[in-house]
Amino acid sequence: MKALNKEVSLLLSKHREKIFELWNKQLILRARSLVEAVGIDETKQMTLDILGHFINVMPDQDDQANDSYQKVLKILAAMSRKMTLQNITPSETAIFVFSMKNSIFPVLQDEFDEKKLADAIMAVNQLIDLLGINTFETYLESREEIINEQQQAFKEVSVPVVKVWDRIIMIPLIGMLDSERTQMMMEILLEALENSQSKVAILDISGIPVVDTLVARHLITAASAAQLMGAECIITGVRARIAQTLVQLGVDLGGVVTRTTMADGLQLALELTDQQMH
Amino acid sequence: MPNSRQNSESFEIMISNFEDIILARQKVKFLMGEMCFSLLAQTRIVTAVSELARNMVTHAGQGKMTLFQVDGKRKTRGLKCIFEDKGPGIQNIDEAMQEGFSTANSLGLGLGGAKKLCNEFKIESVPGKGTSISIIEWL
Ligand SMILES: Nc1ncnc2c1ncn2[C@@H]1O[C@H](COP(=O)(O)OP(=O)(O)O)[C@@H](O)[C@H]1O
Ligand SMILES: [Mg+2]
Repeated sequence: MKALNKEVSLLLSKHREKIFELWNKQLILRARSLVEAVGIDETKQMTLDILGHFINVMPDQDDQANDSYQKVLKILAAMSRKMTLQNITPSETAIFVFSMKNSIFPVLQDEFDEKKLADAIMAVNQLIDLLGINTFETYLESREEIINEQQQAFKEVSVPVVKVWDRIIMIPLIGMLDSERTQMMMEILLEALENSQSKVAILDISGIPVVDTLVARHLITAASAAQLMGAECIITGVRARIAQTLVQLGVDLGGVVTRTTMADGLQLALELTDQQMH
Repeated sequence: MPNSRQNSESFEIMISNFEDIILARQKVKFLMGEMCFSLLAQTRIVTAVSELARNMVTHAGQGKMTLFQVDGKRKTRGLKCIFEDKGPGIQNIDEAMQEGFSTANSLGLGLGGAKKLCNEFKIESVPGKGTSISIIEWL
């Protein structure tokens, strides 16, 4: 087996140019958007590098600690990550690796007799499959990373703070005020109050579909925390039917001031801070 | 509860987390919209549903909500929501219904509030076995 592997390696080396051309032709035909994303010259350089390392791995195919093997993996991983970022489909990324077979097999067919050919194809197959699997795993991993990042980013932007006026900030609340988001809202509110030296915080709840006792509790907590920092809290976006429902529920918003519209809330905030709209 | 009979199909939603509560509320809101309930009625009932569904999650771990249309007397129609769980049950229902009573250190307004928010409210609970609450809102 070892001897054959060496022979294959020599052969690949000898026909490197031809394999290189075949492979690139395949890529342009079968993975066009990938080539476009990477760039034609870069693709050429990448295939050339991979081929060079591949030829070095071949004689020692099972040695995964092999320096060249690690280098191929590295190139493929980088390519794969790039593909994820550019939204290239996983199948095109797979084609990149697997089309290498179509460029190597013709050379083997020309040079080997039938008996050797079967073994040689098997050896090349094994190695390329392994590379393919590795590439695919990186693809999935980076995909997961990206999704995680996006979720993280979404969480961060989901509680924005708007400085609407001197000493007045506004936080539009959206969706379900679950514990996690409330926690975030509180942190952001208190931090914003501190940093901006604001005296009034308007919490707008127009974007909260259901105001139940849990939401009410969170709002009350936020308001008293703001008060502890010497600021006033105004809750806006309390539509009539929500106010009525809260009363029926028996919720007492206590000291928290509420207003139906943002405009009314802002008006009150200006009065509380001795300011006027010009 | 007055004679009410189930008509047409019913919907079952298993509820074990906060996402499920959102789904349950959306489903109820959608059905009520289709049945032409007023926006105020929708707000009241969806809020009650939110309370009862959350109680199943926080006090019983999980449960099931069943929804269906019912026909009442004098050609009225209504929406019935049943909340069933196999949680610890409630020792003293009167006490649990009281404003401010909570074993979870929260507002303690959900149960009594839900009753005030809908037309009909029936609660059954067996300690150690579970709780079943049904509410009806008539058009
Ligand atoms: N499905 C349930 N299973 C068991 N206990 C419940 C259930 N629903 C309500 N309870 C009990 O009734 C109490 C009052 O409920 P509620 O008025 O909704 O207040 P809260 O949920 O804020 O505690 C709860 O603290 C709990 O002890
Ligand atoms: Mg409750």
